[in-house]
Amino acid sequence: MPRLPLAASLIVVAGLLAVIAAGTPAVGQAPKSGGVLNVMQREDLAQGFSIHETATISTVWPSMPCFNNLVLFDPLKPVESMDTIIPELAEKWSWQDNYRNLVFFLRKGVKWHDGQPFTSKDVKYTFDMIREAKDAPAKLRINPRKDWYANVVSIEAPDPHTVIFHLKRPQPSLLMMLASGYSPVYPAHIPPAEFRTRCVGTGPFKVKEWRKGEYIEYVRNHDYWAKGRPYLDGLKYVIIPERGTRTAAIQAGRLDIAFPGETSKATAEQLRAAVPNMVISEVGANVNDNLIMNVKKPPFDNVKVRRAMSLAIDRRAYVRAVHQGGAVVGASLQPRPYGFWGLLEKDLNQLPGYGKPAEDKAKARKLLAEAGFTPSNPLKVEIKTRAIAIYIDFSSFVINELKQVGVEATLTQIETAQWHPLVTRRDYQMGTNLTGLGVDDPDGNFYENFACGSPRNYTDYCDEQVMKMFDQQSQELDRRKRTTLVGQIQKKLEEDAARPMMGWRLDYFAQWPHVKNLVPHHNIYNFGRLQDVWMDK
Amino acid sequence: MRTYIAQRLAIAVLTLFGMSVVIFVLMRLAPGDIVDILFAAAGYVNETDKKLIMKELGIDKPIWVQYATWLRDIFTGDLGKSYRYDLPAWQVIRPLVPVTLELAVLATLFSVLLGVPTGVISAVRQDTALDYGLRIFSLAGLSMPAFWLGMVIILALVAWVGWMPPLTYMSPTENLKVHLVQFLLPALAVGYRFSALMMRITRSAVLEVMREDYIRTAWAKGQSERVVIWRHALKNAILPVVTVIGLEFAFLIGGLVVTETVFNLPGVARFLVQAILWRDYPIVQNLVMFTAIVVILTNLVVDLLYGWLDPRVRYAD
Repeated sequence: MPRLPLAASLIVVAGLLAVIAAGTPAVGQAPKSGGVLNVMQREDLAQGFSIHETATISTVWPSMPCFNNLVLFDPLKPVESMDTIIPELAEKWSWQDNYRNLVFFLRKGVKWHDGQPFTSKDVKYTFDMIREAKDAPAKLRINPRKDWYANVVSIEAPDPHTVIFHLKRPQPSLLMMLASGYSPVYPAHIPPAEFRTRCVGTGPFKVKEWRKGEYIEYVRNHDYWAKGRPYLDGLKYVIIPERGTRTAAIQAGRLDIAFPGETSKATAEQLRAAVPNMVISEVGANVNDNLIMNVKKPPFDNVKVRRAMSLAIDRRAYVRAVHQGGAVVGASLQPRPYGFWGLLEKDLNQLPGYGKPAEDKAKARKLLAEAGFTPSNPLKVEIKTRAIAIYIDFSSFVINELKQVGVEATLTQIETAQWHPLVTRRDYQMGTNLTGLGVDDPDGNFYENFACGSPRNYTDYCDEQVMKMFDQQSQELDRRKRTTLVGQIQKKLEEDAARPMMGWRLDYFAQWPHVKNLVPHHNIYNFGRLQDVWMDK
Repeated sequence: MRTYIAQRLAIAVLTLFGMSVVIFVLMRLAPGDIVDILFAAAGYVNETDKKLIMKELGIDKPIWVQYATWLRDIFTGDLGKSYRYDLPAWQVIRPLVPVTLELAVLATLFSVLLGVPTGVISAVRQDTALDYGLRIFSLAGLSMPAFWLGMVIILALVAWVGWMPPLTYMSPTENLKVHLVQFLLPALAVGYRFSALMMRITRSAVLEVMREDYIRTAWAKGQSERVVIWRHALKNAILPVVTVIGLEFAFLIGGLVVTETVFNLPGVARFLVQAILWRDYPIVQNLVMFTAIVVILTNLVVDLLYGWLDPRVRYAD
């Protein structure tokens, strides 16, 4: 596949490494076997181990050790890209017919935890189920990632160890989706509903006990296909709903590692002061804070009003005030050096809300006046948000910024149970929202959050020209050209205020120094396999 | 006395019935349901699939049908199935009950052992430095919420000695020592507030009784201070204290939410909040009914104790 120019690639990779290297645990010592790793878990499993039926880190993180994917992002490399994808259940893969067929050659001798052999039937079964193929033998109760596989026409299993994904058009990024923690292979001989209560995978660890609301305990899979691994005897995910207790627990050594995305900058500073040798890695989380405006409801059907809202909010002040500096500004893809596709600083500065705050606010007032909203006839809006502290802080900041351009905004807090039904029904005027992305890739973001008709495109933004650009970048084989296209799309989305980005959260992943080979990624969803982790203690 | 007990039991049954209706209706009136929560974890809602799941769980039927089914199942000994865990509700609830009961009993014991003697001492040594000291101690206890005290205890232990109690619950049969360590601090945190209340009530009651004629008579007969205070005064002052113990114990069963959360103890109260947030109706209904039963039984025991302690109550009927 064509590559970025060497110099550009080196700059991106060096930047990413520089960000992460300071806190990354040393890799390279001879691993020792044994020990049980105590892992932080913030809440009980939402739907058991049924990763394919959820879109939350609270399920992916504690379920990943049970499973394998066809391919995976290298656990030992903090940067996730096409170049860091490694084989798992597929020993190797090959693109054919100008990226229209993706062929996987499967590992032989792999067994499910119940002793059944793993074959190509399992792969076909899993992905036919997710893409809801007409002849799929099973159906998921809830299917949040169907869109990831919308370009797959059929899946063929010519022999027990070969699988072919046939595509409508070239889509190199399909491999990125398959490498996500959200893409494990399920066994064809177990109904998907059973994963809500138990887990049969091919992964490095077997579930020993899930004590509801207390812990999830794993033991080593002695028949694991990767010889010599896992190194640990077991894992114990301790469920601690109270945040203060979670922090105290890792500080006291009751837990060995934190929960991805859990440690804010302030907490990291507290931990560093209390335990100076605690290893803390500053990494991207691939989670953004965004403003949603219902483009089908006046006045937000008027792009001038949307752009005025975006111009009114000072992104850098937002990061300082709401995240105490523990986030970075960026457009619709995670910014460099934390992510791979984000716009560079110089390009960001040209976008509404990223430039000089006073000038941007003046432009916002002008646009509002053009739309008919003046000090004597101010725009009054209702902002809806989830009744959770971080959302409320976020909204309070936005309301204050809007006030400075003459917009009178009020806040309505929505209980979590009601939030997603509300935004799915588009029953809101304006809202503050968080979005986590399973992979740091344009295809993994654009189609889900900005495409016409997507259920998670909460703002209902729909632009035929932008849709064409989505498809164009998706099938672009030259990565340099793709990067340029993706940059143009990001600028267009911000100018149209499709879903203005306020900031991208950083994680300060904490672990005790005796934990080795656990390298946090710049994405919270994909480094939970833990088969390479060992303890020097 | 039998009539009295029968009346009390009849009232208890009626109260339980009322509770069952109230909790059932309130849960259904709350916006959102388990299916919304499930879809929330996926970030979207699909109305067709939502209807299918609602049918699967039986929450598509009219509310009165759901209520009647629940009542019928209870009488056949079936508490239903947890929507969230797809397990029999009893299987989910059973391990939670002893944790909360034990914590409530320990906190009550601690508060009685600390609150009653200090209350008596405070009354007997009225307006001395000891009395003032004990009153300040009790006022502090009443002012501090148990969860805040619990968090301070944990943070102080972690900060000063780098230690905190084990995080996963250990039953007494598995490891008695660890088990006691896990319960000691939360029982202290909750019991401190409770003991402060106990101390103030005891102090007031004893002070009132100390002015009665029969106490003066006891002194006049030359009985020792120990006998006058602990046998004559305290026995007559204990009625309001028993009332408070009963009320507070009942309150603890439902009020341990934050303490259980802070100390990560898997009890009824903590789980109830999670179940409400998840709209896991069968779990919520049964846990609330369990709490109601404990409250009603506690009140019944208090009423019976009244009869035993004060013959006037016993003979009233």
